Amino acid sequence: MTTGTGSGAGTPALELTGVEMHYGFVRALDDIDFRVHPGEVVGLLGDNGAGKSTLLKVMSGAHRPSGGTLRVHGEEKVFHAPSDAAGAGIQMVYQDLALVDAQDISTNLNLGREILRRGPLGWLGFVDHRAMRKRSEAELDRLGVRTAPMTRPVEMLSGGQRQVVALARSAIRVSGASNGILLLDEPTAALGYEQTKQVEALIRQMADNGIAIVLVTHNLPLCYQVADRVVVLNRGRKVADVAMSDTEPDHVVGWITGARPSQFHAASA
Amino acid sequence: MTSPATSSASTAGATATRAGGPGAAPPAAGHEMPRAVTALVFLRDRGIFILWGLLLVAFSLWCSPYFATPDNAVLIANAAALTAVFAAGVGIGIMTGVLDLSLPGTAAIASCVCGWLLTHGYPTAVGLLAGLACGVAVGLFNGLVSLRGLNPIIVTIGTLSMLTGLAAVIAGGYTFPGLSQLTFMGTQRYLGVPAPVYLVAVVFVVGTVFLTRTREGIRLMAVGGNAEAVRRSGIHSPRYQVLGFVVSGILAAIGGLVATAVTTEANPQASPAIIFNALTAVALAGVALTGGRGSLPRVLVGALILATISNGLTIRGIQPYWATVWTGVLLVGALLLERAVQTAVSERLVATANLSVHTKKV
Ligand SMILES: Nc1ncnc2c1ncn2[C@@H]1O[C@H](COP(=O)(O)OP(=O)(O)OP(=O)(O)O)[C@@H](O)[C@H]1O
Ligand SMILES: [Mg+2]
Repeated sequence: MTTGTGSGAGTPALELTGVEMHYGFVRALDDIDFRVHPGEVVGLLGDNGAGKSTLLKVMSGAHRPSGGTLRVHGEEKVFHAPSDAAGAGIQMVYQDLALVDAQDISTNLNLGREILRRGPLGWLGFVDHRAMRKRSEAELDRLGVRTAPMTRPVEMLSGGQRQVVALARSAIRVSGASNGILLLDEPTAALGYEQTKQVEALIRQMADNGIAIVLVTHNLPLCYQVADRVVVLNRGRKVADVAMSDTEPDHVVGWITGARPSQFHAASA
Repeated sequence: MTSPATSSASTAGATATRAGGPGAAPPAAGHEMPRAVTALVFLRDRGIFILWGLLLVAFSLWCSPYFATPDNAVLIANAAALTAVFAAGVGIGIMTGVLDLSLPGTAAIASCVCGWLLTHGYPTAVGLLAGLACGVAVGLFNGLVSLRGLNPIIVTIGTLSMLTGLAAVIAGGYTFPGLSQLTFMGTQRYLGVPAPVYLVAVVFVVGTVFLTRTREGIRLMAVGGNAEAVRRSGIHSPRYQVLGFVVSGILAAIGGLVATAVTTEANPQASPAIIFNALTAVALAGVALTGGRGSLPRVLVGALILATISNGLTIRGIQPYWATVWTGVLLVGALLLERAVQTAVSERLVATANLSVHTKKV
């Protein structure tokens, strides 16, 4: 593994205790404990319907859990909407990237946080394109990303570059004073080899900058590339929570499929 | 399956070559857009200007010496003016993600409200402002109703029907003739150029600056392209969806007022030809009906092309319906060309993406 900065002591960036989620009679999440530290990448694995997306939605404020508590940097929080989570420094990157294709990279990165020109033109709402480009370039530099010129329309980018822009947009928004938390749902699902490498590199960079990252994926090699720790869900229960360096792919696959007994509920499984 | 040891090595390699450490590393390869793609994109975005240029040259030769004169240029500009204003309304609507079919109705109601006020002795300014206010009100109505999840096309068809009816009620079944107060923005010429041409110039300059250089305009375009992206950026996107309708309503009102000024008569009849001419100009300009794309200068040239064709054919004494035929041919041709260019661009982009996999050995 890479440096493995945040795995271990200190206050977790995000901590869930005893989280339950019921859809009618379906128990999508059952007594889940979960934590991720600043600078740590936690892979969240599980078969289809295991509850990964549901857990991510609880973290991002899209769903209210039926039970359990949620702490951000040690402080208990209740999210009523995704905007509450965003206010607490949590950003979710959805699988559909939600980029504005016809607009350039700079416009996409600056949407909602535009820099206005100084003086009377600014009062009329004129934006300062050059200042926004410069700021975005600096922000991407800090993340260690070089994609394409800021003036390139997003529709002219490769799939990997688009994913990088979407990730960077969220990363820029969370990396404020207190380091933020990024939730990624299948960030490499539609990407080829080279482009997956690009995204991997960015995820590692963001973690090294102190961002806490939760990574939902079906891609086990990706986990081995970037994750410090892996949490495996099986039918709504947490069955494993181990450091990546302490585990072998075969074991992880066993937990995902249910062939390997849970670390926590040996008796009931 | 890669083992942890080799994988971390390749991660580090990828970090160094692809992403580049902070401050270090030149931009990775593949950053330059291939020449062919640049050329194709140029053709896609500027093709309509080239087309218009070709038409001008062709007509200059074919209709020599009557076509390429300053007087005829003014004639073409004036003929294009009304279509251009309505096309700006339709175009901004489409770019921001809505097809506003109520434009002729908005024009009629603005025209009749203004006509009623002027006929009843109110000052000209009051009549014009009231007309514009009608545009704002219709836009707000369309926007707020559409926000309830209804299909904007159907909503605006309903609005069109309501507005034409209302306009006829205001006019009491007649028209408001003899509105000579409005000639200053109708047939009056300044420096030899008719007033509507100046108005169109102002509308397009202000509109273009608004859409490309102001925060509200850029967000408006972004909402047309991907409302979800705007929403996730923490922006209240419905506000901009309503704003799109309002802008389009104001432009329709301006169109109605100019038409009234040119004929010095307020007419409650909403002509559907207005919307079809405007749509043709917009489609010629390559404004995708899916939204988020397009530019006002291109829409203006679209309107000018329509006027140029009918002007040139008229000079040659060819029956006017041939102009309609040729407009249709151009429109379909432009669509086919755009599709071909788009396909070629994506093919080339995919090719370069693959290329970088082979050349960049990590
Ligand atoms: N809105 C909903 N209403 C009812 N049941 C739901 C709802 N969303 C998810 N579920 C159920 O909750 C369980 C967990 O679903 P979830 O989407 O979290 O799985 P997942 O691990 O993300 O799967 P995948 O890998 O297919 O994305 C499933 O049994 C699913 O059917
Ligand atoms: Mg899922």
